[in-house]
Amino acid sequence: MRPTVKKTGAKDELYIYTWSSYIDDSLLQTFTAQTGIRVIATTFDSNETMLATIRAGKGAEYSIIYPSDYAVAKMIDLKLLQELDYTKISGQENILVKFQNSVHDPGNRYHIPVSWGTTGLIYNSEKLNPPPQDWNYLWLNQSQLSRRMTLLNDTREVMGATLRALGYSYNSTDPQEIKQAYEKLVKLKPAITNFTSDAWRDQLLAGDLLLAMGYSSDAVAVIQQDARFKYVIPSSGTSLWSDTMVIPRTAPNPDAAYAWINFMLQPSVAAQVAQRLFFATPNQAAHDQLPAPLRDNEALFPPETLLTKSEGIAPVTQEIAELYEKYWTQLTSS
Amino acid sequence: MSQASPPISREAPRKQPAALARLLEPLALLGPAGIWLALLLVIPTLLIFQLSLVPGIRPGDVVNPSGLDNYVQIFQPLYLQVLGRSLFFAAGTTLICLVLGFPVAYWIALLVPKRWRNLTLIGFVLPLWTSSLLRSYAWITILRPTGVLNTVLTSFGLPALDILNRDAAVLVGMSYSLLPYMVLILYASLEKLDTRLLEAAADLGATPKQAFWQVTVPQTLPGIAAGCLLVFITGLGDFVDPELLGGASSMTAARLIYNQFLGATQNWGFGSALSMLLILTVSIAIALLLKYGDRNASGV
Repeated sequence: MRPTVKKTGAKDELYIYTWSSYIDDSLLQTFTAQTGIRVIATTFDSNETMLATIRAGKGAEYSIIYPSDYAVAKMIDLKLLQELDYTKISGQENILVKFQNSVHDPGNRYHIPVSWGTTGLIYNSEKLNPPPQDWNYLWLNQSQLSRRMTLLNDTREVMGATLRALGYSYNSTDPQEIKQAYEKLVKLKPAITNFTSDAWRDQLLAGDLLLAMGYSSDAVAVIQQDARFKYVIPSSGTSLWSDTMVIPRTAPNPDAAYAWINFMLQPSVAAQVAQRLFFATPNQAAHDQLPAPLRDNEALFPPETLLTKSEGIAPVTQEIAELYEKYWTQLTSS
Repeated sequence: MSQASPPISREAPRKQPAALARLLEPLALLGPAGIWLALLLVIPTLLIFQLSLVPGIRPGDVVNPSGLDNYVQIFQPLYLQVLGRSLFFAAGTTLICLVLGFPVAYWIALLVPKRWRNLTLIGFVLPLWTSSLLRSYAWITILRPTGVLNTVLTSFGLPALDILNRDAAVLVGMSYSLLPYMVLILYASLEKLDTRLLEAAADLGATPKQAFWQVTVPQTLPGIAAGCLLVFITGLGDFVDPELLGGASSMTAARLIYNQFLGATQNWGFGSALSMLLILTVSIAIALLLKYGDRNASGV
């Protein structure tokens, strides 16, 4: 997009590839004011798009990329990333312990977490009384919710939530448990109007849906638009996800990349960004600086008791991944 | 190309360049399109075919063709069911388009005054100028439980319909998208209908109904075949309508292929085998189209 490719190695320029929700002009200007490095940011809308771009060799100008946790694992597999030199990084000790050792990148050797969130239920609090508290609510209130609820269009999330409702791990690799989860989902199927990760928003706001399974970041955006909607993290636990910063192996300007990482790790910067762009920061020091209403927003920062019951979606072997996918195809084609 | 040569072209030394020109002429004319086709159609198809022979290949793996396992996998009941749903959506759409499109094409070709014909046709084709994604989103707005359709229905005291996120919505969306193609092809076919034959049929005592079934339909059969095949082929690969309108049970071949490439498992080999099957099915349909369809009408 930028015609100045030959200048990408310039010491005073940093190309960043990120989600549109994680940057704004004010952030870029503050960085330039502090470091004298000009930032050129390009955005992507899904990890798959980003991966395809980088794998096609079209991302040689980027020194910082923002993949989600599972995409970090893929990029490590594909040898697209360079190991972080922690001697050049300061402030990472402020990252919550829970996020210092990702299942997708043990020891966080390649990434620094930027934001995190949960998967849960967004519901119409005027219509659903008593409100949902756990995954089993879906099965117990199937007739009331019938054709007025959507689940995520994501095999592992939906199967994981059902596994959790059965008391198993979100990341079960036991074929028997996975089969039981599939059978439980088949019972719920007639009541599910769609599997979608984004189309539920408008339909929920319009009143066509009573409840949707979704990500906390999307839920918070919906609640901001209309306070009738509430977000609940199921009490038996859910999945935790995070978005991260990495340095690609081909980074033309690693020094600027480290400058960016250190800038983003500053508690005051992380706090301002979280406040302005409204996402959960994994930076404990930044969290402490947030104004009370945001800091105590349980949709963004759920209580510790809930977090201990939750886990990140862990990578599984190809064999188990195919088993999940097969049940998913069966579920969505019958 | 040899027109530029002066009148002395019959001299012997000029013969060789002429032969060369004869050889180069088709190359020069067909070359650009040939390179285009080879680069963008033949080579990619061969690459897909190669990938389809590698069981369980994932991004980054070395391509090492080793057998037909991926094709055998397609014949599991689970995947046959998915293919069945694709066929159902494509066939259903074809039928709806034919039933809705024939009267329209008949009206435009035979009943609309000649000077209004082009305008009517353009009016009918106009929706094709907008994005198909946009049209599918429009159907969501119309069909959703508290959407336009149900607001109208309930204001007349009629019961509301629950169509969105069901098979019916997919058929509505796909038929709407593909109807203009059907109408255009049928129109081209009906326009050539020799109306004197209809008059003759009437003179000989045939009722309008008999004349329609025994004169009009047989004469436009190639057009009908062309229209049906074209709608069927396009419908078979539709990704957007099942994804956006179909709800929880809308897995189709196109969506399954997408999942194999960009979903969690990333089984490129199986995805490629499914793609090859889809390409084969469409090729057979096109062969049928060339053999039985009205070539002039379909523009093939």
